[in-house]
Amino acid sequence: MSWGIWMAVLVSAFSQVAAVHWHRDLLQVWQQETSLKLQLTQDNTRLVLEKSALTAPGRIDQIAREQLQMHAPETIRVLQP
Amino acid sequence: MSRSDAEQSKSMIRWRLVLVLGAFAFLAFIIMVRLVMLHTVEQPFLFEQGEKRTVRDEVQLATRGDILDRNGRPLAVSTPVFTLWLNPQVVNLQQIPAIANILDVSPRSLTKRVQKAASQGRSFFYLKRLVSPEIADQVLAQRIAGVYAEDDFRRFYPAAEVAAQLIGIIDVDQRGQEGLELAYNHYLQGQDGARRVVKDLYGNVVKQLAVKSSAEAGQDLQLTLDLRLQYVAYRELKAAVQQHKAKSGSAVLLDANSGEILALVSRPSYNPNNRSSLNAQQMRNRALADVLEPGSTIKPFTVAAALESGQFDLDSLIDTQPGYLRVSGKTIRDHRNYGELDLTGIITKSSNVGTSQIAQQLGAEPLWQLLSDAGIGQSDVLGMPGEAIGSLPYPEQMDQLGLATSSYGYGMSVSALQLARAYTTFTDGCRRNLYLIKSPQEAATCQPVFSNETAQKIRLMLETVTSDIGTGSRARVAGYRVGGKTGTAHKVGRRGYEEAAYTAVFAGLAPISNPDLVLVVVVDEPQGKEYYGGEVAAPIFSRIMQQALNLRQIAPDQPIPTMAWQGGNP
Repeated sequence: MSWGIWMAVLVSAFSQVAAVHWHRDLLQVWQQETSLKLQLTQDNTRLVLEKSALTAPGRIDQIAREQLQMHAPETIRVLQP
Repeated sequence: MSRSDAEQSKSMIRWRLVLVLGAFAFLAFIIMVRLVMLHTVEQPFLFEQGEKRTVRDEVQLATRGDILDRNGRPLAVSTPVFTLWLNPQVVNLQQIPAIANILDVSPRSLTKRVQKAASQGRSFFYLKRLVSPEIADQVLAQRIAGVYAEDDFRRFYPAAEVAAQLIGIIDVDQRGQEGLELAYNHYLQGQDGARRVVKDLYGNVVKQLAVKSSAEAGQDLQLTLDLRLQYVAYRELKAAVQQHKAKSGSAVLLDANSGEILALVSRPSYNPNNRSSLNAQQMRNRALADVLEPGSTIKPFTVAAALESGQFDLDSLIDTQPGYLRVSGKTIRDHRNYGELDLTGIITKSSNVGTSQIAQQLGAEPLWQLLSDAGIGQSDVLGMPGEAIGSLPYPEQMDQLGLATSSYGYGMSVSALQLARAYTTFTDGCRRNLYLIKSPQEAATCQPVFSNETAQKIRLMLETVTSDIGTGSRARVAGYRVGGKTGTAHKVGRRGYEEAAYTAVFAGLAPISNPDLVLVVVVDEPQGKEYYGGEVAAPIFSRIMQQALNLRQIAPDQPIPTMAWQGGNP
C-alpha cells in the first residue's frame, strides 16, 4: 500500500518536472514563431507597399506616355455585330 | 601527569565539546527560526516582492485591418515597428549620445531630458515612438542597460493625398481620428491580447501564467472605391482647381446601377504619411462635408415632377417671355428672352422662368415630395463622420417666391454626394442607395421616385445640354452620349448672396442609352473670367468621364461609326 503511494508520488514528481520543461520548450517555440510572424508581416507590408508604389496609376501613366511612347487611339470605330 | 590532572583535562575536553556543539546547535536553531520566519511570517511580503520583479502583465497589440479598394489594392496598411523607451533610473547618462546619434536627435538635449526625468524620479521615458525595425535593432545592438523596445504598428497610406480625406488617419495610439479610420475604427481595430508571464532578467518570457485574452487581428475593410478612377478624378480635379485658382473642389463618381461609390475626391488635400503641415482646410472632405446650393442642377427634377403630374408632356409649351418673372416683389431672370420653350428647351437653356412657371402650376407638395424621395436634404447617405445633411424646406414653409426659387435649386442645400445620389434616379426612375463598403452579395436597393419612362425622357433632355446649343457643351465625351446639367450658384455670405463668389457645378451621367456612371463635379469659388458650371465644371466632367468609361470598358454608344478623338489627355 505505502509502496504504491511512494511510486505515485515519484511518478507525479518526475512528470511535473517534465511538464514544466515541456512548457518552457513550447513557450520558446511560440516566441520564435511570434517573432517570425512579426517579421513576415513586416516583409509582407513592405512588399505590398513596394508593389503599390510601383503600380501607382501616376507612375504607369508616365511610363506609358514617356518611355513606351503610348498614346490614346486617334479614331474609334464601333463595330456592330 | 597526576590523575587529577588527567580528570581535569578530560572534563575540559567535554566542556569544550559541549560548548562548541552548543554553539553550533544554537546557530542551527537561529537558522531554523529564520527559515521558519521567512516561510511563514514574511512569506506573503517576499512572495509579492518576488512577483513584482518577475511577473509581468503584457499587452499584445492586435494588428489593425487594412483598407483596400474594390480590386484589393491597399489604401491603408499597418506595418510592425518599435517604440523605444528607457528607464532613466537605470540608464547610464554617458551612453545617451550614442543613442541620440542613431535616432538623429541632438545628444545634448536628449541627455538633458533624460537627466531631468531621472531627477524627477520617473522610471519611464519614451525615447522615440514608431521607429523602423532597422533603427530599433541598431539602438538595441548598443546593449545599453535600461533601454527597451516594444512592439507597435505604423500606418501607411499608399494612395496618399488621392484618397486622404475619405480614408482618414489614426493617432499614435492606433485610434481612428478621421474618415473611414474613425467610422470603422471598431471593425478595423481588432482586440488586443492580455497575458500574465514570468520574465527573466533579460526580458525573455520563461513561463506563461495566464492568458486573459488572445490578440485578435482587426478585419480588412474592402471599399467599393476603384483606385484607378479615384486617381483619374483626383488628377483632373487638382489640375482644374489650380487652373481656376478655386478655393476648393470635389468630385463624386457613382456606379449608376449599383449605387457604389467609385471615386470621391476633394481638393485641397494632404499627404497622410507626412503630417508635419496638416491643417483643417486640407482635412475637410468637401464631397460630403460641404453643402452647396444645387442651383440649376435641380431643374431636371422639377421637369420630372411636371411629367409625372400628367399636367405636362414633352410637347407642352411654356412662355418664358419677356425673360423675367416677378414673384412677390422679386424678379426671377433668365440670361435672355428665350420666348416659348418646351420642357426639353427649359433644360437645354436652363430657364429659371420656365421652371418657376412649372412649379407655380404644380404647387409645392409634388415638387417637395419628388425632391425628398430623390434624397435632397435627407440624412441617410453614408453615416460618415462630418457628413452634411443639407436642407430642403417643407411645402408649408414655401411661399410663392420660395416655391419658384426651389424649382431652380435655390433655398435648399445638398452635399456633392447627395446630388450625385439624386442623379442615380435618372438611370431608371429609382434612386439608388449608396455603398462605400463592398459586401459580397448585397443586392442594390433603391427608392422609387418616378417612372422609367420619365427617366428616359429626362435623360434625352439632359443630352441636349451637352449639344452645341446647350449650356454644357464642354462636357461632351467623344464616342459616348453624355447628359448632364450645369449649375452656377451664388455663394451665401454674411449679407445674403455674394456678388462675385460662385460655386460651379456639373452633374451628369453616361452613356445615355444605358447609364453606367453618374458624376458630379463641384468647383468652389473659381477666380477669373470663367465661373459658370458649363465653363469650369463641365470640362472636368468630360475628362473624368472619358477616362472612367474607357477604364470600365463601356462600349461607345455614339451612333456615328467613326469619329475623331477630341479629348485632351486620355
